[in-house]
Formats: sequence, C-alpha cells, structure tokens
Amino acid sequence: MISQFFVLSQRGDNIVFRDYRGEVQKGSPETFFRKVKFWKEDADGDAPPVFNVDGVNYFHVKVAGLLFVATTRINVSPSLVLELLQRTARVIKDYLGVLNEDSFRKNFVLVYELLDEVIQGTKRMPGTAITKSVVANEPGGRKREEIFVDVIEKISVTFNSSGYILTSEIDGTIQMKSYLTGNPEIRVALNEDLSIGTSDYRGSGAVILDDCNFHESVHLDSFDIDRTLSLVPPDGEFPVMNYRITQAFKPPFRINALIEETGPLKAEVTIKVRAEFNSSINANTVLVQMPLPTFTARVNFELEPGVVGHTTDFKEANKRLEWGLKKVVGGSEHTLRAKLTFSQELHGNIMKEAGPLSMTFTIPMYNSSRLQVKYLQIAKKSKTHNPYRWVRYVTQANSYVARL
Amino acid sequence: MSRNDSKYFSTTKKGEIPELKEELNSQYKDKRKDAVKKVIAAMTVGKDVSSLFTDVVNCMQTENLELKKLVYLYLINYAKSQPDLAILAVNTFVKDSQDPNPLIRALAVRTMGCIRVDKITEYLCDPLQRCLKDDDPYVRKTAAICVAKLYDINAELVEDRGFLESLKDLISDNNPMVVANAVAALAEIQDNSSRPIFEITTHTLSKLLTALNECTEWGQVFILDALSRYKAADAREAENIVERVTPRLQHANCAVVLSAVKMILQQMELITSTDVVRNLCKKMAPPLVTLLSAEPEIQYVALRNINLIVQRRPTILAHEIKVFFCKYNDPIYVKMEKLEIMIKLASDRNIDQVLLEFKEYATEVDVDFVRKAVRAIGRCAIKLERAAERCISVLLELIKIKVNYVVQEAIIVIKDIFRRYPNTYESIIATLCESLDTLDEPEAKASMIWIIGEYAERIDNADELLESFLESFPEEPALVQLQLLTATVKLFLKKPTEGPQQMIQVVLNNATMETDNPDLRDRAYIYWRLLSTDPEAAKDVVLAEKPVITDDSNNLDPSLLDELLVNIATLSSVYHKPPEAFVTRTHSSAQKTEDDEYPDGIESESSVNPANGPGSPPTSSYTIPASPPPAAAPVPDLLGDLIGMDNNSIVPLDQPATPSGPPLPIVLPASTGQGLQVSAQLTRRDGQVFYSMLFENNSQVPLDGFMIQFNKNTFGLAAAGPLQVPQLQPGTSTRILLPMVMFQNMSQGPPSSVLQVALKNNQQPVWYFNDKILFHVFFTEDGRMERATFLETWRSLPDSNEVSKDFPAIVIGGVDATVERLAASNIFFIAKRKNANQDVFYFSAKLPRGIPLLVELTTAVGNPGVKCAIKTPSPEMSTFIFEAIETLLRS
Repeated sequence: MISQFFVLSQRGDNIVFRDYRGEVQKGSPETFFRKVKFWKEDADGDAPPVFNVDGVNYFHVKVAGLLFVATTRINVSPSLVLELLQRTARVIKDYLGVLNEDSFRKNFVLVYELLDEVIQGTKRMPGTAITKSVVANEPGGRKREEIFVDVIEKISVTFNSSGYILTSEIDGTIQMKSYLTGNPEIRVALNEDLSIGTSDYRGSGAVILDDCNFHESVHLDSFDIDRTLSLVPPDGEFPVMNYRITQAFKPPFRINALIEETGPLKAEVTIKVRAEFNSSINANTVLVQMPLPTFTARVNFELEPGVVGHTTDFKEANKRLEWGLKKVVGGSEHTLRAKLTFSQELHGNIMKEAGPLSMTFTIPMYNSSRLQVKYLQIAKKSKTHNPYRWVRYVTQANSYVARL
Repeated sequence: MSRNDSKYFSTTKKGEIPELKEELNSQYKDKRKDAVKKVIAAMTVGKDVSSLFTDVVNCMQTENLELKKLVYLYLINYAKSQPDLAILAVNTFVKDSQDPNPLIRALAVRTMGCIRVDKITEYLCDPLQRCLKDDDPYVRKTAAICVAKLYDINAELVEDRGFLESLKDLISDNNPMVVANAVAALAEIQDNSSRPIFEITTHTLSKLLTALNECTEWGQVFILDALSRYKAADAREAENIVERVTPRLQHANCAVVLSAVKMILQQMELITSTDVVRNLCKKMAPPLVTLLSAEPEIQYVALRNINLIVQRRPTILAHEIKVFFCKYNDPIYVKMEKLEIMIKLASDRNIDQVLLEFKEYATEVDVDFVRKAVRAIGRCAIKLERAAERCISVLLELIKIKVNYVVQEAIIVIKDIFRRYPNTYESIIATLCESLDTLDEPEAKASMIWIIGEYAERIDNADELLESFLESFPEEPALVQLQLLTATVKLFLKKPTEGPQQMIQVVLNNATMETDNPDLRDRAYIYWRLLSTDPEAAKDVVLAEKPVITDDSNNLDPSLLDELLVNIATLSSVYHKPPEAFVTRTHSSAQKTEDDEYPDGIESESSVNPANGPGSPPTSSYTIPASPPPAAAPVPDLLGDLIGMDNNSIVPLDQPATPSGPPLPIVLPASTGQGLQVSAQLTRRDGQVFYSMLFENNSQVPLDGFMIQFNKNTFGLAAAGPLQVPQLQPGTSTRILLPMVMFQNMSQGPPSSVLQVALKNNQQPVWYFNDKILFHVFFTEDGRMERATFLETWRSLPDSNEVSKDFPAIVIGGVDATVERLAASNIFFIAKRKNANQDVFYFSAKLPRGIPLLVELTTAVGNPGVKCAIKTPSPEMSTFIFEAIETLLRS
C-alpha cells in the first residue's frame, strides 16, 4: 500500500528513508521537499497534506518540526495513511522519549525496526503494545507502578465586537498513559448525567456531548447504563475517548480591545483581559496577539504599574502586537495600553484594519465542560500494592478570538 | 593539465569502506554487529555502500534477530544493483522461512517479497506457499501481503502457483487479522487487474462483517473498503448491512469513520424508506463533524470528502454550518476548504451569519484567503436571489476599505452578479468607477472593461473611461485586449459619435496589424467586417441578450460526482478526480525496472534534447585530448575520498539503462585510455543537467569499480551521486546518465567553460580529461515570459547590462525551425518585428537561480549575418551565452 516512508528534517535532510515496494523513484524526498517548500511562490504557505507529483502521491504530517512522509502510486485511503503517519510519529516518540533529529540519528536501528512493524506490516498496527512483542528494545521511560488519566479540553470561542459569543466549542480528549504491570483491567466512570446528542436532554446541569468516540480497547457494555468505560490499556499514551461539545459554557477569559484615533498619525489601543475562573486556579503562558494597521511604524507600550512577568512586543514584520502574561490568577484583570504611530494616514476605518484579538493559554486543573472522571478503578487482586493514580485536568485555547 | 590537479583527489584519511570491510569480517560478533549498524547508517544518509555486499551478506546467518533485521534491510536496498550476489542470500532466506521462531519466518518471507529481483522471486514461491498455511497468524498475514507484492512483480507466477486461491481461503481464517490482510491483498490485486479476481458473495459478506467486529482499526478500514464494492440485492439487505456498519462511526480512528461513511452512503442509494435515510443522515452528521477535531492534515481530507457528500446529500450538514467557520489558527489549506463548504451550505436562513463571517475573513492577512472570501460573497449573491442585495452591500463596504486586491476581486464578482441579475444593480457602477485607477490585474481590468462596455449607455463618460485603457493597448495581456476590443465596439454601436468612431479605428488597427494573437486578430476582423457591411446586424450580434448565468457552487459534473462518491475515503475524493486520472502504475512488465529508476519520460531522449538530437552532430572541437595521466595516484586513499563526495540527498540511480542514443564526442580516446574509450557530453533532461557518458572497453580485461570526480569549475558542476557503471567486459560498452548538480564546488578566478574530469576504475590508473561545458544545458524550462514581463524586464535592466555580438557567418533559413530549435533548448520566442529590411526576433530564457536572459536577434532572413544582443543581470556570462546561441543557430 505504501511505497516509501521517510522522515525529513526542517531543512529537508533525509533522517530515515525506507523503500517498501521499489515502485517510486528514489529521488522522491527531494521532489517532495521542493514542492512543499515552494508551494506558494511568495511565502512559505502550507502545502496541503496530500498531493500528487508525476503520478506519485505524497502524504505528509508535521510533528515536532519534522516531516513524516509516505508515498504511494495507488488510490489508497488518505485518512488511513495520515493516521498511520501520526501514529508512527507517536509510537516512535514513545520509544525515543523525544522526537528530534538527534534522537532519530542516535536510535536509527530501533526506528527502522519500529517502522517495519508499523508500516510494512501495515495492516497490523501501532499501539506500543503490539510493537513491543516484535521489537527488540523496550520503550524508554519510568518503571513505577502508576497510571495517568488526563482530561484535556481545547476550547474555541469567538466573541463579536460587543462581547457576545458567536461560536464556542470544546474538543476534549481523555488521554491515558499506563505504567501498570500485568495489564489489569481499568474502569473509568464519568458523570452519570452525561448525555450524548441533544435528543435525550436531561435538564440543566447535565453535560451534553454532541458526539464522542472511543479507542478500540474500550468496552462500552455498561456505558449506556452508568457511564463507565472498561478497558485493558495498551502501553504508551493513547486517547481513551474523544468528545465534542457545543453546549454553552462559561469562557475562562473575557477579552476586549478598544482602538481610537488620537491624532492624524496616532492611535491608542487598550486591551483588557479578565480571568473569570476561581482564584485558586492560575492560567499559564497566556499570550494575547493582535494585528495592527499596515502602516503602523512604532508602538509604545504602557503596562499597569507594578505587574511582573508581562512582556510586550511589536512584531514589525507582520505588524502584530504581542502581550505575554506568564501567570494570570483567577479573578484578576489586566490592561495594556499601546500608543501607535503610523507612517501614513489611514484611509479607511481603523477598526477594520486592526484585529481580531486572539489569545492562547493553558489552565491546569480546570475544565470548561463539567465532564469529570468520577473514579478510576484498577481491577487487581492483590491488596498489598496500590498503584499511583493520577487524574489531571487541563484547558487550552484552540482558537480564542475576539473581533473588533 | 598540470600535474598539480591530482591534489584534489589526495587525502590522508584512510578510506571508510576498507575499514568497514575489515570490521564486517571480524571474528567478534559484537564488532560485526556494530559494523553492520555503521553500514546501515551510511546507507541512510545516501552513501553508496553497495561494494560491501558480500561482506554484509556473510553476517546474515545469525541467531541475533536485530542483526538479521539489519542485514535484511541492507539486502532490500542493494539487491537490485547486485542481483547476482543477491542469489547468495537465497539459501539463508529459505532456511529462515522454516525457522522455529515465527518472527524470523515472517521476516524472511516479507523481505523476499521486497526484493524485486526475478531470480529471487522464483525461490520465493515455495516458502510463500508454506507460510500461507503457517500455524502462526502473524506469519500467515505477512504471507498474504507478500502475495500482493509478488503479483505486482510477476502476476502470472502468482496465478500459476495458485496463490490467489490460497489467499481467498484466508478470508475464512479464524484470525480476524489474517482475514483483514487477505482482504487488503486481494483488493490490491484486483486494482491491478482488469479481470474479476475478488468478488464478494453473500457468503464472504457475512464472514467479513463478522471479522469487522473483531479485527483492529486498520483491518476494519480494509474490510470496509472492500465491502463498499458489494452491491446489495435489495433495500432490505442494504439496511441490514448498514446496521452492522453504523457502530463503526463511533470509532476514534478517522479512517475507520470515513470508510464507514462511504459504505453507508453506498448502501443508502438502495434504501427506499425516507425515514431510514433521514435517520442515517442524522447518525452520520455528528461523526463527520467530529473529524474536524482531528489534526489539520486529517481535517483537510475530511473537508474534501464532506464537500462531495453535501453535493449529493445537502441535508446531512444543513444545520451544522457553524462548525465550518474558520478558526484563526487553521492552516490555510483547511480555511480554503471550509470556505468552499460554507458556500455550499449557505441558505436564506443562515446567510446573514455567513456574510458576517466572510466579511471578517476579507480583512485577514493571507491574500489568497481574502480573495477567496470576497469571491465567496459574490457566489452567495448568485446562488441566493433573496440575499443578493445584502451580499452586494457587503461587497461595496469592502470596496470602501480600498485594499487593492479586495477591490479587484470585488469587481470581478460584481461582473458575475450583473450577469446573473441583469438590470437590477447597475446603480452601483458609479462606485466601481471610482476605483478604476487602482486596477492592475488582468482579470479585474477585463471585468471592469466589460461592465463599461455593457452599460455604456448609462455611463456618461464611458468613452473617456475606455480611452484611458486604450493608451496601453499593445502592452495589455490578451484577456484585457479582447475585452477592450469588444467594449469599444459596444460603445460605438450604442453611441455612434465621433469620439467612439476614432477609438474603434485605433483598436481595430491595433488588433489586426500589431498583434500576433490569432484570437484577437480574428475577433477584430469579424467585428470589422460586420461593422463595414451591416451595422444593424452588428448590433444584433454584439449587443445580443446574454443568457443569465447560474450558481456554480455545485460545480461538479453529476456523472463525475457519482464516480467520486463511490471513491469516498480514497485519494480520488481528495483530488476530486477519478482514479484513472492520477493512478499511473504500469503493470507487471519486464521493462518495469527501468521505469522505476527514472522520473517519467526520461527514456524518450532523442527528441528532448537538441544537443544530442540528430540535427546537431557532435563537434569534435569540444574534445581536448586528455593529457597522459600523472604517476600512479594513491588509489586506496582516493577511493575513500570519492566515496565521501557529493553524497547529498540524492540516492543513487541503480542501473541507468540507456541502451542507445546519438553519438557523443569522445573525451578519452582508446589510445590514451589503455583501451578504455569514454565519450561524454553534458545534456539537459526534464529540468536536470546530466552527464551523458558512453564507456567502451577495448582492452583485454574486464573493468569495474568506476568512479568519477569533477574539478572545481565556474558553474560549480558536480556529480549528484556516485557513478554507477556495471562491470564492463572486454569488447562491451555501456551508456549512463549521471545526474549533476550546480553550485557545488565553484572555482574562483575568471569564468571558464573548461570542465576537468577525473575517472578511475579498479584496473587502470586514474584518467584525466577536459570537456567543454555547453552553456545551453543551463537554460531552465521556466524561461517563457509574457510579453509584458519581457518589456518590463528589458526596461528595468540598465543599458550597461546589454551586450551584443555579430555572427557574420550564420544564416537563419527557416524562421519556424529556428524558433523551434531554440525553444527545445529553453530559449522561448516572444515576438517579432520588422525593421527596415531586417527582422528582429525577441526571445526569453532563464538561467539557474531564476536569472532572466533576454535575447534580441537581428537578421535578414536567408542572408548571412546575425546580430545578437542580450540583456541579463549577469552580463559576465555573455561569452558563454553567445557561444551557446551561436551553436544552437548553426545547424
């Protein structure tokens, strides 16, 4: 099915190259890289993940700056190949600990072995568990008896200019990483009032998923009755369940920006960020960005007096304002003032030339939906040892945007 | 050549290859294993370690699984270039295929399937037969895949040995993994064959549906894809199948979901109950939307498929338009696809929301995306009559922002809106005319001109407006010229006054006398005759009522759409092209090995390159007899050095097989080369420079181990990979194409066209010879220019960059033949004009790194004497350029 698999560095160097069928010429990595690099003449525009050059189909995914590429000449399922590439990257990462050029080069023998199992067998597939039986080395990492369950929610919100929510969405994943010996069965219980699809709406307070799907190791026998999942986790990190919510939720941040002309070549921008979550919780690595009018020549920033951990920057090249806040405590509010100087007079509406405001952040131990892991049960006979069980929550911004 | 030149071969480093050889033959296991690892590492970065073949294969007999895998890896890579040696490995393969360890059995069969050497495949059959019936499911599934590979190499063999039957038996295997792989193998074989091989019966259907529940996600994809070919007998059977497949929609793997969707859509065609269909649509919608939460690469595939699905079943996602709104951090390829789907889902109900989004996108940074957003507004106007007015007011708002490309895009779509709703929105023309000066793109200009011509009677100063365009008529692109011609005629017919009359004269003159564009000329003549014979008829023709255009947002042809829907969840559905349009696999033929080695089309050499074409016999003046070799060079050191050279990312072409071709100039005569004669010349093919070489062995001994190195030269030419010449028996010859790269080892000092080459083999001393670099191999394929670009480039270069030279002896006989010959060398004809009794020809070309080259040839056709003037940012190259042009003109 796949003719070749290769991994290229950012500069286009071959890190791994494997030919499975000898039906695509060997110069394909170069052809591929040139095509991707010059997809758009002017900029490094993203090439689509699937394209055809001279009868050869190239698939690629970008992971940690590396390009994982597969070629084929036949009409295969593209989502299968792309999933395969993603999974391959994940399995290799599980074994190497970290994905970069160096770790590849140091472990190339192992990588080739993994590839053989993953791709050539094609049809049998990743999940570290399967590869473990056929690959000589063991995955790296710790050996303590423990299990991690992470509820990761990526939220997208679009506010209109008056702060009203236009669209909002949660993409959630329950991720599991098990280091338990003997592969015991695990039960994960979720909120009992969880409902799927809006048809069986159970009143306010219930968590309503628009849709969800499950890893193939998950048994759903009692899911419909008591919302518990049972599974024997494979090794390595894997998603137990993915879910999607469009039910309204309280956005963790309110942001708005005001832009006013203060003179013929001057304007002032005021950006306000308010954290609307509990004060016991902190958001990390908050970054607010806003495109400014094209003719912006200079920006003077004015932070609130006494704040720490704030950075401001004006990215000249793409005329973007960046405001970084290392830590934002729940309930707090921050303001940034920026005085803009233009090199030319604006001809239109200044509001039209600036914005929208966008924001990225990570909030540990906070989830936007009320979906919860109620308990995590490890079915193991022995009473003597009690493995560590970790359930963590994190909310991240996917596309968090306020229009002006 | 001076003796000093030998220094670029000398090195003090001991060769890597001999060192590895030593280690591979070490008595210590660990050392051997390390050595094999080093060999594989070298192979990965593109070094040629094929000379170690025997030594590596010797390590194959080992109990160590890791080492065995590495040796197999090496074998797969080099077996093809060393087929005779590869046979040595067969015994071990056969033995391994009976190893007690199932992993080794599977590995052996799998590796044999990867080695595309005919002699090996013969030996593969027996082990394969055994493995298809192995006790271990892992071995059976590996063998199943191997059958598909073997079919690709030798279909007959597979059929003769009954492998297809064995494969079909595996569908009933008790292990679902084996079933899935057998299905995948059969499906692939079916794709490669025109005969029906794999037909799904009711019996296999139920087997496969059962296996579906038990096998892994990847197996599920293969089974679903195979089953989607099954035609259910009636609606009831279809419903039953769908019921078994629907739970797959809940799978976390997007490939499984898409394949299940395809299968359901397929069966839905048969289902008659509207309730069932509606219910199925409702079930499919959430999983389809969830695909958009996956990685962007997968989102892209999903969106391309959804695009097709909503064309057939618009109701599925009618209420989900919000999920297609673009996120600011979506990659551009995702945004573009989302936009396309938003247009398709736009309706009277959601148009306000959609317009709000489009308006927002139209102020984003990415120019292509902005243009598409503006166009989307226009398409919605055309699609939704009741929303047209709102769309237009958004467009007018955008025009007021005065961002140049937004304005131009808006004008293009407004022209379409006028054609959809004639006599409705003309009041906005005045606003459009305000932006007239800013238009610089042909399509926008042409649209504006069309609008002016079409509504000339309502625009008071239509003649002035058109006149402003007329000044630059000769320089405009064809698209604009055609519109100007038509618009002027319309204007004249509507307002037959003095001004327009003069204008029409100018335009018709321009369009008939001063142009090379036949479309423009013909159209002008038709108008001219119409106007001069019967102005009333001209009115009927030119001002005829145009048919109203319709919405093109469901733009796929229904029959194509049908075909694509069958191919949902395949590449076809991503490209929106039927499979035969891009699947170019050639099937099981003896020539296949050669096809694989080269990019397409390289074999058709004689017609491609005029330098080698029959028309240009090799001039012996290019060959400077090689000087006698210096005292025996330090061969082993040289070897190490040569191995290390130029081995960048290009992996060697294994066996360049170019059996015949035009004669090449001799660069190393047999008399100098102790019986070895080499002829060679640089040539250009498919956008790459090659060193085309012919080796003739007139000596008494077989020659092998050929290596080549190029001295530093003005253009930095160097070999892109090692020279691959097979052993040359006495009295035989071989031709090869050595890919070359530029800008690798540039020499300083004055430019020179001399190429110094050193060549060695295992039997003879190092030979040195000089060749002459033919400059025209550097002209790149993208040298063709628009006339406007040519003029602009000519003007932008200072006069100091213009150099000229006379070729007093050259005669240009046939113009067409000359133009064609130059074009074959990537010097493209732009225009021709007469100057007194001489003809002046203009050509464009491009040098590497995109440096433009403009050429002007002045001559009296048929008489001797050509004046050649060139203009380029790199005038220092002019000597070479003149030389090249002179060579090309002399035929």
